Amino acid sequence: MAVLLLLSGCANSTSTKSNSDETNEKVNSQPKHGGELTYALATSPDSLDPHRSGLAVAVRAFRTIFDSLVVQEPDNSIKPWLATEWTVSEDGKSYTFKLRQDVTFHDGTPFNADAVKYSFDRIINPKTQARNSVALLRPYESSEVLDEYTIKINLSTPSAAFLSNLSQAMLGIVSPSAAEKYGDQFGKNPVGTGPYKFVSWTENADIVVEKNNDYQWGPSIVENKAAPYLDKITFKIIPEEATRIGSVQSGQVLAAETVPPQNIVSLKGDPKNQLLQVNTIGLPYTLFFNQRKEPWNDVRARKAVQLAVDVDAIVKTLYLNTYSRAWSPLTPGILGYDKSLENSNSVDLEKANKLLDELGYVKGEDGIRAKDGKKLTLNYVDGTPNREKRNDIAVIIQQQLKKIGIKVEINITKDIASVVQKNADYDLYGNSQVNSDPNSLRAFYHTTTPQEEAIIKRLGGGSDPELDQLLEEGTVESDPAKRADIYQKVQQKIIDEAWIIPIYVFPYTVAATKSVNGIKFDPLGYPLFNDVTIK
Amino acid sequence: MINVAVTNKILLKISTALVSILGSLILVFFIIYLLPGDPVLSMLDPATATPEMVENLRKELGLNQPLYVQFTEYFTNVLHGDFGQSLVNSEPVLPKILEHFPATLALTIASAVLSVGIGVTFGVLSAIYRNKWIDFIARLIGLFGISMPTFWSGILLILIFSIYLNWFPAMGSDGWVTLVLPSLSLGFVGAGLIIRMVRNSMLEVINEQFIITLRAKGLSERVVMYRHALRNALIPAITIIGLNIGELMAGTVVIETVFSRQGIGRIVADAIMAKDLPVIQGVVFFSAIVYVIVNFLVDISYSIIDPRVRKSN
Repeated sequence: MAVLLLLSGCANSTSTKSNSDETNEKVNSQPKHGGELTYALATSPDSLDPHRSGLAVAVRAFRTIFDSLVVQEPDNSIKPWLATEWTVSEDGKSYTFKLRQDVTFHDGTPFNADAVKYSFDRIINPKTQARNSVALLRPYESSEVLDEYTIKINLSTPSAAFLSNLSQAMLGIVSPSAAEKYGDQFGKNPVGTGPYKFVSWTENADIVVEKNNDYQWGPSIVENKAAPYLDKITFKIIPEEATRIGSVQSGQVLAAETVPPQNIVSLKGDPKNQLLQVNTIGLPYTLFFNQRKEPWNDVRARKAVQLAVDVDAIVKTLYLNTYSRAWSPLTPGILGYDKSLENSNSVDLEKANKLLDELGYVKGEDGIRAKDGKKLTLNYVDGTPNREKRNDIAVIIQQQLKKIGIKVEINITKDIASVVQKNADYDLYGNSQVNSDPNSLRAFYHTTTPQEEAIIKRLGGGSDPELDQLLEEGTVESDPAKRADIYQKVQQKIIDEAWIIPIYVFPYTVAATKSVNGIKFDPLGYPLFNDVTIK
Repeated sequence: MINVAVTNKILLKISTALVSILGSLILVFFIIYLLPGDPVLSMLDPATATPEMVENLRKELGLNQPLYVQFTEYFTNVLHGDFGQSLVNSEPVLPKILEHFPATLALTIASAVLSVGIGVTFGVLSAIYRNKWIDFIARLIGLFGISMPTFWSGILLILIFSIYLNWFPAMGSDGWVTLVLPSLSLGFVGAGLIIRMVRNSMLEVINEQFIITLRAKGLSERVVMYRHALRNALIPAITIIGLNIGELMAGTVVIETVFSRQGIGRIVADAIMAKDLPVIQGVVFFSAIVYVIVNFLVDISYSIIDPRVRKSN
């Protein structure tokens, strides 16, 4: 009996002990409240008015201040945020949203259907001088306030990209009373419903936001739906990369964005710091052939270049394996990304040479091909020489194409406006775009009308009725599975006919000291600070 | 007589200064037309811009009006102190420049003081102790100052004094601590020039007749060198220092970016990135005015310090 008692006592005591251990652990794992995060941005934001801004770096700061109607999950499904539910009309041209009723703006203005209508009407009003937001909101036509918390949004044509676009910060909802009060200075006095409230912006120095204690409406992609743990965030603006990374290493800031490849490698082995890396989605860095010019209007010439350019070598040499190689006109992670294109293309100089032979280009004594006395030269234009070693890509390609007898002339110019957009005076030119929806392909690959061409020459300038039709179908198709099919066909066609050479997927990188926890990223690669704690 | 000559000279200088300012205003206005490319197209994203947006922006900038109308408008606005608004955030340009100018001024002055201090000290020492070890050190500093690009020396200073030693902050513009590294890296360029200048003119002066006479009269070497030789050697150095202030102001564009300081150099760098024309025009015009004023003051002080210049008029 005594033994039994003793045993049970023991059992009891051990179980009590483990219980108390658990509670201890629970207490310990409770996120620590308070503290200030200093986060170094690589460039100055242009404006904190989500509707007027045109820069990704601005989004990183104002995403903390503004919420959107819906949120996009990593699997590209759309979930509620400020809107609780919605219905789409049969013809796909109107969306009716039910809104949350417990939300207020930082200035005390209640959030309701009027505020949503105000925000969207503000974007299409030319007086607002909206930049990127107006393109995202299109084909928006009007909003009707059905009751205080119900709003109907009418589009001029159906758009399958509309909900995804609504999830972007540039279509965030602004406080109508603050927007009226500050007018065109709203970008310096932003008021939204977000987890952080705007405090101050000292130009070229820092932007400060503080915790919104009333916050209860975090999106599904963060764990902490309530007020953030941090007291405040100071976004420091440090353009020079050595200074920016040095500031993290010397402890002057806790985190810094956009880490150059050589530092990525060294930070990975650094015991004091951590490296966060997330691929952005949209269009990867892509080289576009100018199909308005000979011989690049012939698929064989483009194909020859595609077969001769060793993209793997470029990405390995320049980015030390820290960037991933792109295979498609779209980046991984976006709806409809065609994984089957990966590893589909390999370097084949023999085949490339054969294609150029077929076209009648014969190698001369200098090893450069010529036809009818004209040398086969490729005018490679680059407008961002300092960005991500893009000018070095040109130099490597110059060496690689020499092997098949193409002479590459590299033209580094800041004047993309006249060289590329106005005169289309290039054979190969690179560009990339961050976007949440594959519909962004349309702006690059759909045939342009002569009137559009007269004002701005879109990249590539190719024309293919079948591709046009697919891109048009993709814009209106509402079934995600069918849409994915459509865009897979689009991607295959673009790669098969060698309209482009995809190079790399741009990763958003953050170096942070180990004391920072919980920085998350939305599907576009923008940082979220709802869950952040500092040890 | 002398007073009238000086006043005339000052009046002449003032009118030259005004002409220079007017000239730079005209130049700044025509920047848009001299640069290749369409400013409107370069401000928009080719992937999302529509012909309608292009036209709207052109109207908003007033670029659809005849050139003389645009210029008259710009000219009258500038006379009223209105440098236009930033295209990026609609902020008025002049208050923005005035807000950021003190930081640039502080950096320029600190760098000028450092470059004069280092430059004159080492210039004199290297002339006096010609071909001794101190001369070699001075010439080495001079060589480094002239040949090192500021962004590189700036990053080097950050690496050593901020990251490894943690003595000074790598960035920011609050307080004198944040001035140390940027003004050092900017000041070195000027110092390099001044060392060479002072050394050469000191060596020249040392061999002149009057120095030999002074020595012969039995004055101590110290008095000869510092009271007589240095004073004469400094005159050409002052010109260099004056010119150098313009260089320093231009150097702030790079240095303010490297050290993440506030200032008009940063403003113009950002404006160039964002193709914000009114801001670029405003800062360039403002800097031209400052440059003209500094040169005016240097000219005046020059003719006051050096009796030969005063009389030559």
